Amino acid sequence: MKAIKSTEKKGLKGFVKSPSLDKYANKVLFKDKVKTANRILKTVGLPKV
Amino acid sequence: MIENRYTIKFGADFRVFEFDSEGPKGRIRKIVQYTEINVKDFYNLGFGDKNSLTNQIDDLIVTNNNDSQKVLATVAATLLEFTNHHPDSFVMAIGSALARTRLYRIGISNNLKEIEKSFLIYGLKDKSWHRFERDINYEAFLVQRKKINFVKL
Repeated sequence: MKAIKSTEKKGLKGFVKSPSLDKYANKVLFKDKVKTANRILKTVGLPKV
Repeated sequence: MIENRYTIKFGADFRVFEFDSEGPKGRIRKIVQYTEINVKDFYNLGFGDKNSLTNQIDDLIVTNNNDSQKVLATVAATLLEFTNHHPDSFVMAIGSALARTRLYRIGISNNLKEIEKSFLIYGLKDKSWHRFERDINYEAFLVQRKKINFVKL
């Protein structure tokens, strides 16, 4: 939360806060992609960092 | 790359972003969402068009609004901002079609030097992750924000 407050204070150039987007907070908009991403992680695993 | 981009709206927790593409096809609303997947700190980058009449989201549509570089730069800016607020995250990007995956690859390749200043980037090929290299086709991309260690002087 600290980080969010700090950006909001700075008023980052080219970014505007829009409460209208908060309705998506608990919605998955790209379900197929998420499913694919989960499948990749399950079958391929993580990169060797 | 990031400089020539559209103004971006962001929602709570910096996980959803919206912007308007402008070109010959008119003004087209785009939406970007970072969704945490089954592994902690791993997110999927979802990106598509939002129909302003129906609010339906379509990530298969090809807009052809003659601004693909500006759109990619705007999506890249959302990634930078998302990782500012979620610095330990890995973000996976998978094109919804081969053409879009190719567009991502070209966008990354053309700006690789700049991107690598802030991110580690991997490509998925032959069922394993590899450090990203130009001119190689990948099925998906995974990025991680580099940790910057400040040295006290």
